[in-house]
Amino acid sequence: MTEYLILQALNGLIIGLIYALMALGLTLIFSVLKIVNFAHGELYMLGAYFSYYLAKMFGFPPVLAVLSSIIIVFFLGVVIEVLFLRPVYTGAVERKDEYAILITFGLSIFLQNLALFVFGPWTRRSPSFVSGTTSFCSLSISNDRLVVSALAIVFMVATLIIIGRTFIGKGLRAVSQDREAAAIAGINPFKMNLLAFGAGSALAAAGGALIGPIFLIFPTMGAMPVIKSFVIIVLGGMGSIKGCIIASLILGEAESLGSVLFPDLTRGLAYKNAIGLLFLVVVLLLKPTGLFGEKHVRMK
Amino acid sequence: MKKCFSLLVCCLMALGLTLPVNAKGIIKIGGVGPLSAPGSFESGKEMKMAMEQAIDEINGAGGVLGKKVALVFEDTQGLPEKGTAAMERLVEKHKAVAVVGEFHSSVAKAEIEVANRLKVPLIIAEAWADVITAKQYKYVFRIAPANSLFYSKIADWIKAAGFKTVVMITENSDYGIGVERVIREQLKTAGIKITSITAERTIQDFTPQLLRFKMSKPRPDLLFGIFTGAGELLMVKQAHEIGLAPTKETAMFAVGTDALHKEFWEITGQSGKYILTKTGYYPGIKFTEKTEPFIKRFKKKFNREPTFAAMEAYEAVCLVADAIKRAGSTDPDAMVTALEKTRFTGLRGVIRFSLDREPKYMYHQWPGTPSFVIQYTQVDQPYTDALLLWPKEYSHGSLIKP
Repeated sequence: MTEYLILQALNGLIIGLIYALMALGLTLIFSVLKIVNFAHGELYMLGAYFSYYLAKMFGFPPVLAVLSSIIIVFFLGVVIEVLFLRPVYTGAVERKDEYAILITFGLSIFLQNLALFVFGPWTRRSPSFVSGTTSFCSLSISNDRLVVSALAIVFMVATLIIIGRTFIGKGLRAVSQDREAAAIAGINPFKMNLLAFGAGSALAAAGGALIGPIFLIFPTMGAMPVIKSFVIIVLGGMGSIKGCIIASLILGEAESLGSVLFPDLTRGLAYKNAIGLLFLVVVLLLKPTGLFGEKHVRMK
Repeated sequence: MKKCFSLLVCCLMALGLTLPVNAKGIIKIGGVGPLSAPGSFESGKEMKMAMEQAIDEINGAGGVLGKKVALVFEDTQGLPEKGTAAMERLVEKHKAVAVVGEFHSSVAKAEIEVANRLKVPLIIAEAWADVITAKQYKYVFRIAPANSLFYSKIADWIKAAGFKTVVMITENSDYGIGVERVIREQLKTAGIKITSITAERTIQDFTPQLLRFKMSKPRPDLLFGIFTGAGELLMVKQAHEIGLAPTKETAMFAVGTDALHKEFWEITGQSGKYILTKTGYYPGIKFTEKTEPFIKRFKKKFNREPTFAAMEAYEAVCLVADAIKRAGSTDPDAMVTALEKTRFTGLRGVIRFSLDREPKYMYHQWPGTPSFVIQYTQVDQPYTDALLLWPKEYSHGSLIKP
């Protein structure tokens, strides 16, 4: 039983790390742009498809395919920000919150259907990073899951270093705290928006590209992870990067352990998604701003 | 003179009523199926391909009643409300004379209500829930097997293969729950120990429950996955990754049609070897003279092996054309009468629709749908080369364990 629970906890940790990567991108976008990106799941899906085709059609090694895909989606994010989200900050639209919701929601539907049209409905799988499984004692886990966890940690640490230790990161943090004050201090908020949306999209793509060999690639693959990401950023506290990472790990563990410790074992898997949401409800009842959230975060 | 004119007008009106073809003289046949999420769009796409092939062939042979036929296909997305809207659009806007298709039972359940209300013949091609024909609607026919009809034969194989402990993971859809019920009831009477688990259709990580099965003592003999779409493929992959199945101790049966698609191998790779699955068609068994030519044409046109879902979709279109020909009109009631008298040589046998009211699901159901249990013995093996295990009279061997 102990071994079994250890294995479940390990599985929960791996899933949590993958959640964290995607939710981190959503948090970054929210903290700087103050918008909820409903098309985040589709950027995740595009990251997976680009990585798949780079590896399959152009023979890229899996890790290089992931990195290339991240770069492509970064620039795609930049284009989306300029074309669709810039009007929110230039005063071209009156109802900013509603516009941001509608435009990202529309983009989500468009990209999903575009993928269905361009890539077709057939389910795909990226080549393995390292095929096979690793066994220790009686525990066995697929090598892909281990590699993906390691890469997810690398990407997250890199993101944290960029945000915490670099000049660009300072600029992003300044804009996330107060756009006007940051502008007075000489930071161009438009450039920071561009970088934040690009980087957020790239993180979503990283999640999708890494998940390619573990789960599957299909046009709607982003629908469920984006819901989990919303749960995570609300659980962690809107805009809090630390909260996002901790909430991701909590959600991963809650789902993995919750579904096997559920009183009715035959229904554990059916309530897997509900367990995360239940956790969210409880946290919000006790702490309405989430685990590490600010009191009031809204677009100015 | 006035009388003659009135008679002429009446005749023209009657003709207009019995031949609801559009101004260009095209008879429209509606098609329904999932082409986008959350439906199983892989299967919907394959069905649409087959329907288009049938339409091309019918028109190539001169059409029906001297008219060309056309397919108007609506994407039902695996959602009942979309199915209802699609049916209404097809009948009221596009003036489809009959509708064929559907893959998801939950959607078909909504569509049969519209067919019944609007009095339009509907041939369900690939939705299996018993209730679809059990409602015994006049305008609803089915060439896909009913769950009870098909899975009782699969349960017979499970019993014959000597499994003692069976675990099932079922998607919580009308189809999944229906299959689970049939299998559970059949196996219970044979004294086989069953553990049944349900899960959301969108679930991606089965590992927690699969690990539980792996740690259980004794290990189950058979893991029976009642899932469609990506869920099925992920279950196969994850069961193999953690060393649960297919192994010497535990065999694995994946019931979804996705196990027959060529993409199955790209996703599962080594995990797909020794997987058991079911099919409604197997080559080498002489069905009809139409079978092999159809497969050749389909492969040439779409560069893929058709599954039985494609065959059913193709047959459904042909059945509508055949009914219109025999009825001599597109009047719904005349078509229903013709369909009830159908003796059509399809791709997998001579199709007829039962008029029996008991068991309930048998009404307007093709009782002769074939069912086979096959096992993959090599990686990248087309399902048409897999080992045929059941029915006994056609069996090429017995279950192989890794």
